[in-house]
Amino acid sequence: MEETTSARLLRQTLGGETPSRPPCLCPGGMMNMMTAQLMDLAGVYWPEAHQDPAVMAQLAAAAYENGLFDNVGVPFCMTVEAENMGAGVDLGDRYTEPRVTRYAVESVDQWEELHPLDPHQGRANTVLEALSLLHTRCPGAVLMGNLTGPISVASSLVDAARFYKELRKKPENAHKVLDLVTDGLIAFGLAQIEAGAEFITISDPSGTGEILGPKLFAEFALPCLNRLCEALRPRCSGVIIHICGQLQPIYPQLAQLKCSALSADAVVNLAQLRAAIPGMVVMGNVSTFALAAGNAATIRTLCQNSLKQGADILAPACGLGTTTTLESIRLMMEAVRSQEEETHAAH
Amino acid sequence: MAEKDALLAELARCVLEMEDDAVVNVAKEYVEAGFDAYEGITEGLAKGMEKAGQLYEEEEYFVPELLICSDAMYNGLEILKPHLKRDDSSKGCGVLIGVVEGDTHDIGKNLVKIMMETAGFDVHDLGRDVPVSEFIAKAKEMGTGIVCMSTLMTTTMGNMKKVIDGLVAEGIRDQFKVMVGGGPLSTAFAEKIGADAYTSNAAEAAKRARELVATA
Repeated sequence: MEETTSARLLRQTLGGETPSRPPCLCPGGMMNMMTAQLMDLAGVYWPEAHQDPAVMAQLAAAAYENGLFDNVGVPFCMTVEAENMGAGVDLGDRYTEPRVTRYAVESVDQWEELHPLDPHQGRANTVLEALSLLHTRCPGAVLMGNLTGPISVASSLVDAARFYKELRKKPENAHKVLDLVTDGLIAFGLAQIEAGAEFITISDPSGTGEILGPKLFAEFALPCLNRLCEALRPRCSGVIIHICGQLQPIYPQLAQLKCSALSADAVVNLAQLRAAIPGMVVMGNVSTFALAAGNAATIRTLCQNSLKQGADILAPACGLGTTTTLESIRLMMEAVRSQEEETHAAH
Repeated sequence: MAEKDALLAELARCVLEMEDDAVVNVAKEYVEAGFDAYEGITEGLAKGMEKAGQLYEEEEYFVPELLICSDAMYNGLEILKPHLKRDDSSKGCGVLIGVVEGDTHDIGKNLVKIMMETAGFDVHDLGRDVPVSEFIAKAKEMGTGIVCMSTLMTTTMGNMKKVIDGLVAEGIRDQFKVMVGGGPLSTAFAEKIGADAYTSNAAEAAKRARELVATA
């Protein structure tokens, strides 16, 4: 019998089988899992970990090796793609994530000035090298590559408010930008898989149903996300999509997503979501505010709620705050492990 | 009168229907006809923005639509603002205005600012996402006047009370009238946190500010 590794649990979950317990993930990328305590434990820190593949791998491995999550995941930010395509980035400091400080272009009209994403350049290449290192170092782990979603990348290349307006006012050129971005993301995703990532998570915090509404989500976000799924899924064991905020306005559009699993925010009622998109594997949605606040009883209840409402994969609802304690994070893994004991007890 | 009403309706429609270029000519036509700029804002542009806000709440409009509506409103304001007749009755009275920390929604605040200026107040705009300490520091500098705070979010409403508590702690609460406004607020909330007034729109805010100063 195949050994029950973290990676196998997720393969089973995404394949529609019933694993011995739900996987517990925090993918990386926008879904940040790095905290001050974890950096202390790993002995390496931001911002070096954003730039040096060995340091990146060392930090990513810490979450898995200390039993916090079933996965390792890189990178630790959502600026790699935009920087590669021409945006200016401030890498932040020990406790602040990198952020875009200069847009690549002023308007979608200048789409031709954007650089095509080259996965073997700059910090994109750092991510690839870190993935190769992690592939050797953590054989049983879920090896998660991360991509910033198309709308989020595009709204880092053009000022977000401007970009949102141009979706309506200059739809043709907005599509041109998104096509370029999606081509780049496919190239980066395939390169991550080539480097050893077995799964890919795409997080699109700027492309939510709450922001775009169903019409623009269907016209702009959905086709890009599905193009990514179609290109990446046949080459890896699964593609997870995370969309922030309330999902209700876009349930019909979400039902058309071609991902392996959908990850939802804390405001989403997972039972309702499951009913709206039958057959989809659902991941979520423990409040990161509750995790940061650190009340153990509350966190335990929230983990149980997510699982009871039908989370197939337990995960924080968003990226973790860097002040979240290891004790609080461990409660999530404790919750999925208690399910394993229940399964055993039932037999 | 029919022409004025038609132009006011057209100003509102331009804002509501995201006509951010067309609104400019309508606003010009309105002022060239000699109609009152103040009403052009309250009965035209602001009405359109109010309806856009309603559509947003009803999930007919989303962020991109609302951004273009507000562009249309600001484009119209640019034309109307120079034609506002300044009323000198409240001259010399300072108004401190800002969106409380954690919130960046400033359309309502900006409208109130324009109305307050038109009513003759001396307005200090702290902008949006303003920390409690900044309100207090500026209030201390002013010594007396009106403090206006707004927020559109329930999560940041608590910061209004912190500002009031700060004024109390500094011993200057009695030197100021405190006014609050924004989507989730109510008169009951204003009373609960110890504010002097809640108003539901910009024109009402300016009117109420005058009354507060007159009775002070």
